[in-house]
Amino acid sequence: MNGIHDLGGMHGLGAIRPEADEPVFHEDWERRVFGVFIASFAGGQFNVDEFRHAIERMDPAHYLESSYYEHWLTAVETLLVEKGVLTRAELEARRVKLAKGAV
Amino acid sequence: MSKHHHNRPLTEVELRVKALESLLTEKGLIDPAAVDEIIETYEHKVGPRNGAKVVARAWVDPDYKQRLLTEGTEAIAELGFSGIQGEDMVVVENTDRVHNLVVCTLCSCYPWPTLGLPPVWYKSAPYRARAVSDPRGVLQEFGVDLPPATEVRVWDSNAELRYLVLPKRPAGTEGMSEDQLASLVTRDSMIGVGLPRSPNA
Amino acid sequence: MPALTKDMVPGLVAAGGSCRVEAEVAAKFAPGDRIVVRNLNPTGHTRLPRYVRGKQGVVEHDHGVFVFPDTSAHGGGQKPQHVYSVKFAAQELWGAEAPSRDHLYLDLWDDYLERA
Repeated sequence: MNGIHDLGGMHGLGAIRPEADEPVFHEDWERRVFGVFIASFAGGQFNVDEFRHAIERMDPAHYLESSYYEHWLTAVETLLVEKGVLTRAELEARRVKLAKGAV
Repeated sequence: MSKHHHNRPLTEVELRVKALESLLTEKGLIDPAAVDEIIETYEHKVGPRNGAKVVARAWVDPDYKQRLLTEGTEAIAELGFSGIQGEDMVVVENTDRVHNLVVCTLCSCYPWPTLGLPPVWYKSAPYRARAVSDPRGVLQEFGVDLPPATEVRVWDSNAELRYLVLPKRPAGTEGMSEDQLASLVTRDSMIGVGLPRSPNA
Repeated sequence: MPALTKDMVPGLVAAGGSCRVEAEVAAKFAPGDRIVVRNLNPTGHTRLPRYVRGKQGVVEHDHGVFVFPDTSAHGGGQKPQHVYSVKFAAQELWGAEAPSRDHLYLDLWDDYLERA
């Protein structure tokens, strides 16, 4: 698709900003997303092309504003719901439950 | 494994991740111990020191270098590096006349077995947009000044081939051991946005 | 498929999962061929960036036969075909202001290309 991800040659996106001594993961949730993605992929839940396309289908503004591993999280959620492995309702209910239980 | 105690409410993203992982675990679709092992592997066991060993070997062994440039996957596997996101490798050589730069404009494809996981800047919009259309500007931003007659070759990793740059061996490194040479090889030099360190730098 | 277990991880990491396909598929092009990239604009998944569509290049190398992502992403099967390293002049892609000696290389599937 001619989506927001197809960035080659685009102007106006600003400076490249390398971080010195950058850690592999910046947050614990990024670690978990990475591991869950690999485990789900290895478990045959989706293929790499479906995964990439799920990222490409993100809302363009959300794509540009969100961090890399949030792309992965969004794609995995999208694919598992589309494939009937999970429902949006289940995910939302679990989030609500976790939000109440944490703090 | 101890969970660290949250003194603050979880963010929306953190809640989404915990919801996803806990549901998949309950449904028996993922095993948290496997997830932990995957994280441990890519956070601590795989990284650019692997690629540096490949480069150092190529610098000291001309036959190995030839194999590396013609059958990259197999040559890299000789040193024990292989697998996810490195199944089909192409190694491209920097020379006095050619400088190579690697990007994935469409997402973030990167040779994990030799370089580990990519840095944020490599996966972000500014690099992905400009590496193909203004590689010399990108190199300047990284502090790399090329002689004017150099040809720049940009490799956009849009398929399943993964690219590793073989940097030029720095001057003044005659007689150095492979380990010493490997210590000069930076991650950025194997992407093409940097040059290897000079000895005694 | 059963869930991945901890002891399966090292083997998985080391083996990976190549998208190469063991299939006898005829190559439409050979190194040295001048090609033009087709002006394809699928609404589904593709690995053909917009910046190279309609551009002329030269086939440098045949990587062999791989899964075709444009079909694989949509349950349309592997449609295995050759992938080529194709060389483009920077000026071909970005105009006369681009450095005359620079080049870009992309890996393009048979279905993305036609003879120039």
